[in-house]
Amino acid sequence: MNGSDVAVSLGGVFSLIVPEILLLVVACVLFVGSTIRANRNLWGGVAVFGLFLAAYALWLTAAKVPTIEARAENGENISTMLFTSSILQTRLSLLVSAIALVGGLVLVLFSWNEVPDQHAGEYHACLLLSVAGLMVTGAANDLITLFLALELISIPTYVLLYLLRHDRAAQEASAKYFLLSIFSSGLLLFGFSYMYGMTGTTNIAALLDALARDPNRLPALALVALVMVVAGMGFKITAVPFHFYAPDVYQGSAPAGAAFLAFMPKAAGFVALLLVLGYTWIGGPVRGLALGPQVPILFLILAALTMCVGNVLAILQDNVKRMLAYSSVAHAGYMLIGLAVAPDLSYSTGKPITGGAEAVLFYLVAYSAMTLGAFAVITLLSTPERPVETVDDLAGLSSSHPGVAILMALFLFSLIGIPLTAGFAGKFLIFFGALAIPADQVQLSEHALWFWRLALIGAVNAAIGAWYYLRIVSAMYLRTPIKPIEQHPSWPGVTAMLICAAVTLGLGVYPWPMVKAARAAILSERSTDARTEPLAKTRND
Amino acid sequence: MSKTSALLPVIVALPFLASVFTAFFGPRLLRRHSHWPCILATATACVLSCFVLAGVVRSEQPILAGYEEPPPSVRYDFTWMKAGSVDIGYTLRADGLTAIMLLTVTFVATWIAVFSIGYMSHEREHNAGYARFFAEMSLFICSMLGLVLADNFILVYAFWEGVGLCSYLLVGFWFAKPAAAAAARKALLVTRLGDVGFILGILVLWMGFDRPAPLGGPDPSVLNFDVAFRLAPAQDPAILALVCLLFLCGAVGKSAQFPLYVWLPDAMEGPTPVSALIHAATMVTAGVYLIARSMPLFHAAPPYVLMIVASIGAFTAMLAALIALTQPDLKRVLAYSTISQIGYMFLALGSASSGTLVAAAVVAGIFHLVTHAFFKALLFLSAGSVMHAMGNVIDMRRFSGLRYAMPTTHWTFLCGAGALAALPPLSGFWSKDEILGVTLKAGAAEHYPGVYVVLFLMGLLTAGLTAFYTFRAYFKTFWGELRIPPEAGDHAHESPEVMLVPLRVLAVGAVALGFVIQPLTGWFSGLLEHHWANVSFPGQPLPHVVEHGHNWVLMFISSMFGVGGVFVAWFMYVCQPGLPERVVRGMQGLYQMSLNKFHVDEIYYALFAKPLSMMASVFKVFDQYVVDSVVDLVGSVPRMIGMLLRPIQNGLVQFYALAMMLGLTVFLGALVIRMAR
Repeated sequence: MNGSDVAVSLGGVFSLIVPEILLLVVACVLFVGSTIRANRNLWGGVAVFGLFLAAYALWLTAAKVPTIEARAENGENISTMLFTSSILQTRLSLLVSAIALVGGLVLVLFSWNEVPDQHAGEYHACLLLSVAGLMVTGAANDLITLFLALELISIPTYVLLYLLRHDRAAQEASAKYFLLSIFSSGLLLFGFSYMYGMTGTTNIAALLDALARDPNRLPALALVALVMVVAGMGFKITAVPFHFYAPDVYQGSAPAGAAFLAFMPKAAGFVALLLVLGYTWIGGPVRGLALGPQVPILFLILAALTMCVGNVLAILQDNVKRMLAYSSVAHAGYMLIGLAVAPDLSYSTGKPITGGAEAVLFYLVAYSAMTLGAFAVITLLSTPERPVETVDDLAGLSSSHPGVAILMALFLFSLIGIPLTAGFAGKFLIFFGALAIPADQVQLSEHALWFWRLALIGAVNAAIGAWYYLRIVSAMYLRTPIKPIEQHPSWPGVTAMLICAAVTLGLGVYPWPMVKAARAAILSERSTDARTEPLAKTRND
Repeated sequence: MSKTSALLPVIVALPFLASVFTAFFGPRLLRRHSHWPCILATATACVLSCFVLAGVVRSEQPILAGYEEPPPSVRYDFTWMKAGSVDIGYTLRADGLTAIMLLTVTFVATWIAVFSIGYMSHEREHNAGYARFFAEMSLFICSMLGLVLADNFILVYAFWEGVGLCSYLLVGFWFAKPAAAAAARKALLVTRLGDVGFILGILVLWMGFDRPAPLGGPDPSVLNFDVAFRLAPAQDPAILALVCLLFLCGAVGKSAQFPLYVWLPDAMEGPTPVSALIHAATMVTAGVYLIARSMPLFHAAPPYVLMIVASIGAFTAMLAALIALTQPDLKRVLAYSTISQIGYMFLALGSASSGTLVAAAVVAGIFHLVTHAFFKALLFLSAGSVMHAMGNVIDMRRFSGLRYAMPTTHWTFLCGAGALAALPPLSGFWSKDEILGVTLKAGAAEHYPGVYVVLFLMGLLTAGLTAFYTFRAYFKTFWGELRIPPEAGDHAHESPEVMLVPLRVLAVGAVALGFVIQPLTGWFSGLLEHHWANVSFPGQPLPHVVEHGHNWVLMFISSMFGVGGVFVAWFMYVCQPGLPERVVRGMQGLYQMSLNKFHVDEIYYALFAKPLSMMASVFKVFDQYVVDSVVDLVGSVPRMIGMLLRPIQNGLVQFYALAMMLGLTVFLGALVIRMAR
């Protein structure tokens, strides 16, 4: 590979991350500007402007640069690009970028009035940086890029948690998050280093290609790498036993910070898992088995543990934020079912069965909408004099704020999984995916039984979950206020809530377009033969 | 997607949007004008339905919307949900049957909505609930339109429940009135019993149908009409019979047939236009539609299933007619007459016992459905007009002789009553004649001929009873000396024009529609035969036996029964006003039985409600001491596990890191051991 190739590929890379660069520029403007003026409306407006700018740039890039899948379908030879570029424009990356931008918009809107004036610029700048981080995560095609993208999310988070509040609880929360996050990053890097050691490359495509040739005869090191990577990501997605920070940190930080934690690291963690373990990669015989056939078992155990611990502990909580933290753990468990099931689903040929990895992506969007909505409600109703901390604080909400109460009820019903909400559609896809493993194929019959059990555990957990969500609903509708809430929600917050409600309802009533988008991002129609042969040539160079 | 198929979603969406719009903007913005969205949407839907009918007539195949690939290889454009072996889409279908239902529902509903402007004027002036009323009406109409347009059983079920919900809301419109609230609850609960059957039927259909599976797993699209109908003849008869009987259970609940009819007479606690809508177009016909739509399943099932359908129909028709003989309340008479007439429709559908009769049976049933929609809406609206003038008094013992006070209402009621009594040549005569004709033919067919002959005789006798009780109500209300109850105050006068115009329009329909569309032109049977029967039985074409000739003897006999009933009523209530008293005294026992509705409510109460409530009190004890403790135990298991786990969450960051590390080690160790094995 000569110098001009590098330049071209670098140029290509830069043209792909224009939206992210724009976000960084706006973030820098915010950092500098906030030292000059302290005005939350001004900097909030700039942040929203930045997000729209990035969205526009993303639109242009998407229109101009074809995705790698589109190239492959057009019959172009994509192997050079695939095996050298550290950033790729894929359907997944576009979807993740869109999710990141909308999520970022919601976060900016509902923390609009929560940040103190003097920190508004810095806060929004940190937010934009992590949005950029999530966008790069979706596009990363190199372990290094991926790691950097994940850190681009984590490092602003430490600052962000602290900026919202200065009391001791918030200090403790951000310090805890900082220490454990660094610890988990260490585990992740450890895993990545093994992957590099096994294959001699950090390019994810090349690495998967090398590993996936025969998943049944991987070096034992692959197992270590698998566990390390899953442990590192497990922290971000709050999988048990890497979830311990979540309740303490959610409770200690301001609601906007907790909402951020429920959305951003979780989305990044799941997307990164999909990328690194080869769920979006159909080069190997079976998706998601790049690191060996133990992948479904590992995720199965993790899913069962995570669901059960999350739900069981959520029952005991009186603090709403802490309850939502455990609920966030529990929902991570449901999503892990999808990761466990996906490799086996891809065995079945013929009519493709929906469920598995695309269900995870769908659930991610659904979960983000409903949990951000619930946190938005809490944020909007909280004032420093009368914070909404416990379930009792929400008592009688229906009489003082009927509109807000109905939206909160919608989000909670969606978290339970009542039909015609996004949560139902997500659970439906995940559980039916688990039940659809064809039991009549020899190599799957044992797994099918296990996944039946897993779906059963999931159903029991969904029932347990209903109990604690309904407690909030009943407090809002059936009890009289203990201390009336005076706060009247401001328009940015209301807008954020309405966006979340629209997504929650929309995905419930008509989920299919989103499922289709997720499906397109996971399964591309590339043929496997067109790809492996030129790889050898690249390697020989 | 052809042009016509694009109309189908619009027809459902229009009333829905009207409902949402009225609900959100009605109370603040529209206020006195809240009726406009509902009326405009329904009227537009009616016009679009005409286009759909035209499209159906033009095309050989049913018009489908929402499919990427139409059946038998189903792929949905508008998938609602697809995962594993479940595959459900927002798919709509219009064939001859749908087009007729659409036109009937939208046309009748439009005029009922117009009538409501006048009838609900009190709400309008006080601006209380006026918008709510029209929002709920729109939603009701939307649900019914969706029900007849849906092309898979899940979607049918969704709209089916929508109809149930709206009927609950509308019957209980004056929810502050205890009777209205109780009636709404009764309507919801009784129809729910049927709904459970329906959803169970769908589940059995989905689980039990043998189907050529592409990949071991079940074919996900069996809930689609065409696929289910295509597979039906090859199924296990027991499964099919079970599915059909469960569907019948749903239909019996929704269409108020024996034994689940008890909700309908009480449902008149709602505003009268709502009664008109429920009885005529939107709710009770849903069960009839369901059976007609699932006829390929019923046809493939063992013949006793259809015999049960017919028997339930005939028995209900007769029972309700007997009850209607003595009811003092005008609306109650009409309510029982609805139950009786729907019974006729079931009788017709149930007569499809042999292949040659299927098309004729469905034509007869649906024909009666259409004519009944017109004359029953007319009768209810006329009764509403009377009620409006009489200050909400509807007891026939308290007013009479309204013939001159309310001339227009008198004439329209007379048209409706004549049609209901099946006097030739009004609409009801022709459709009832078709039903009796097809039942008689079933009596000569191979399955259960004796039973069908008995059912035919019951139908004939009921026709006489119908004429009698209808004209009893008519004579008691409009003839005799003029009496007006004090509640009417000074406004015992004819209703305003906005109420009279719908009456006149529907009266024309009740008089002429039946004659024009079937005996005169044969258009109706032609439409159903070519655009429903030919496409609904894939792979097993039906023999074309819809005879357009008339059975003159039967027509003469049945019209004799009708005229005889009217004459007896005239003799008893006009010529010899003292006679009914004497008759009642002579047959005190029978009279009381009928007046008290054969004590069915009380029997149900004694048979079901009382033992249930006794059982309930036993169970309450059991529940409090046994179940509760078990539930508490079960419920406390997660809680106890949680308590055990809670101390681990000790807030120490070094412990958290240790736990992560330990978790890692355990996973690593376990996997290594598993791999080493």
